[in-house]
Amino acid sequence: MTRIKIILLTLLLSSLSFCANASEASDSTSSKINPKEIIFEHLLDGYGWEVPFDHHHRIPLPVIVWASDGLHCFSSARLEHGHEYTDGNCKFVIAGDESKYRGKIVELKDGEEIRPWDFSITKNVCALFITVLLVGGIFFWLASFHKRNRFKAPRRGLGAVEGVLSFVYDGVIKPVLGPQSRRFAPYLLTVFFFILTMNLLGLVVIFPGGANLTGNLAVTLVLSICTFIATNLFANKHYWKEIFWPDVPLWLKFPLPIMPMIEIFGMFTKPAALTVRLFANMMGGHMIVITLTLLIFIFSAISPVAGGGATVISLFFSIFMLLIDVLVSFIQAYVFTMLSTIFIGLAHEHEEEHELHADKGNIEKEITDTLV
Amino acid sequence: MELFTPDFGLIFWMFVAFGVLFLLLWKFAWPVILKTVDARAELIDKGVEYAQNAKEQLDNARREAETYIDEARRQQADILREADKMKTQIIEQARSAAQVEAQKVMENAKQQIEQQQKDAQQQFRNQVSEFALQIAGKIVHNQMQQDDAQDKLVDSLLDEIEKKN
Repeated sequence: MTRIKIILLTLLLSSLSFCANASEASDSTSSKINPKEIIFEHLLDGYGWEVPFDHHHRIPLPVIVWASDGLHCFSSARLEHGHEYTDGNCKFVIAGDESKYRGKIVELKDGEEIRPWDFSITKNVCALFITVLLVGGIFFWLASFHKRNRFKAPRRGLGAVEGVLSFVYDGVIKPVLGPQSRRFAPYLLTVFFFILTMNLLGLVVIFPGGANLTGNLAVTLVLSICTFIATNLFANKHYWKEIFWPDVPLWLKFPLPIMPMIEIFGMFTKPAALTVRLFANMMGGHMIVITLTLLIFIFSAISPVAGGGATVISLFFSIFMLLIDVLVSFIQAYVFTMLSTIFIGLAHEHEEEHELHADKGNIEKEITDTLV
Repeated sequence: MELFTPDFGLIFWMFVAFGVLFLLLWKFAWPVILKTVDARAELIDKGVEYAQNAKEQLDNARREAETYIDEARRQQADILREADKMKTQIIEQARSAAQVEAQKVMENAKQQIEQQQKDAQQQFRNQVSEFALQIAGKIVHNQMQQDDAQDKLVDSLLDEIEKKN
């Protein structure tokens, strides 16, 4: 019975790809598909948001640019399909393939392309806002739940959120930071859930998802800059001593500060490693899934039979990869948080534990209040 | 490559959005959540500890009760054994007392019998002496019917008195 089902499914998929092939052939205006373009369109940012089953229309998003004569604000629908748009005295266009600003908004002035300060709500920025709203909503909800029901464990959705929360809080933050964990947990947990939500939203194919946000260097860069600030701003004396006057033979640090230079270099390589790791992992995942999907169309262009076979195989593999990417989404968020925790923890070695006692006293008092 | 050149606009919005999210959560959400999570963990730990203590106490109480019951059983057995011993002792005492009493009664009886025997002997002796006297009187009476025999006797008696004086 299962075997028959599998055969039927295979046939159905093959016939679907035939249809795709046929429609592609009948569409006289469409040229050969360009996989590279499709892949990069997905991986990179855009001024509109793709709609399923439509290659020509996008969900328009606001364009905000600070051009040579001031602020301009208009809908990205006006720039679709390479149209020029004149707003006030300035002419804007999305730069073409031959320009060095390919795919970005440029101001046309005396035949030259000038890149204005671009604060547009692009696809990625919009996805960022959606993520912020989601994460904020979830945790304000959780906080209000806790305010209403003291010591009651949430169920279902909030319970799942709290399960992941304790996984990170009790599993990573507390063992590494110890008495400092209450101080840094807000930042670390925000980062964790922020990255996790962005990663998972990126795997959803249609509208609120699909943006390759964590696979964008700008996003991961900002996150690791935040970790860098959190590490160095609150570091203790011991940390700075280890950097500028480490416990090494004198000749390694006195006339020529070799070790301090290496240590200072290390300060910056840590966040750099964070940036690149998250970026490369997420971008790679997106790239593999979309490439596997595109294989169908590439093979269909060669021959319908090859297309039919490729459909089955790439569908199987892209589902497999998507599932792996769900895992990777979690792992990458976890790894980023764990490394941030360790970096912050390294900046807080050799510290007294007086804060812990104050905190513990408070909690104990609260518990006795509840129990009595 | 555009992939590796971070976009200024996105960096700007990322800073703003992440900053706002972090500040809001840091101020309003995380303190509540973390406090509750920590306190609840502590509460659960305390609860487990409490339950363990309670179980231990219950076990202790049960063990104590068992020792009490054992003690009571032992005491009961002791009391029973004591009672048994006392019973035999009492019987023994009674028996010996009865024996003593019986001996006494027997001795009394023996004495009485002896007394009666003595009395009977005395009576018998008295009767025998009476009979002997009567017989002797009769014999003397028969002998003294002759005069010379009377004289002879008086003479001998007188001689005897004279010798004494």
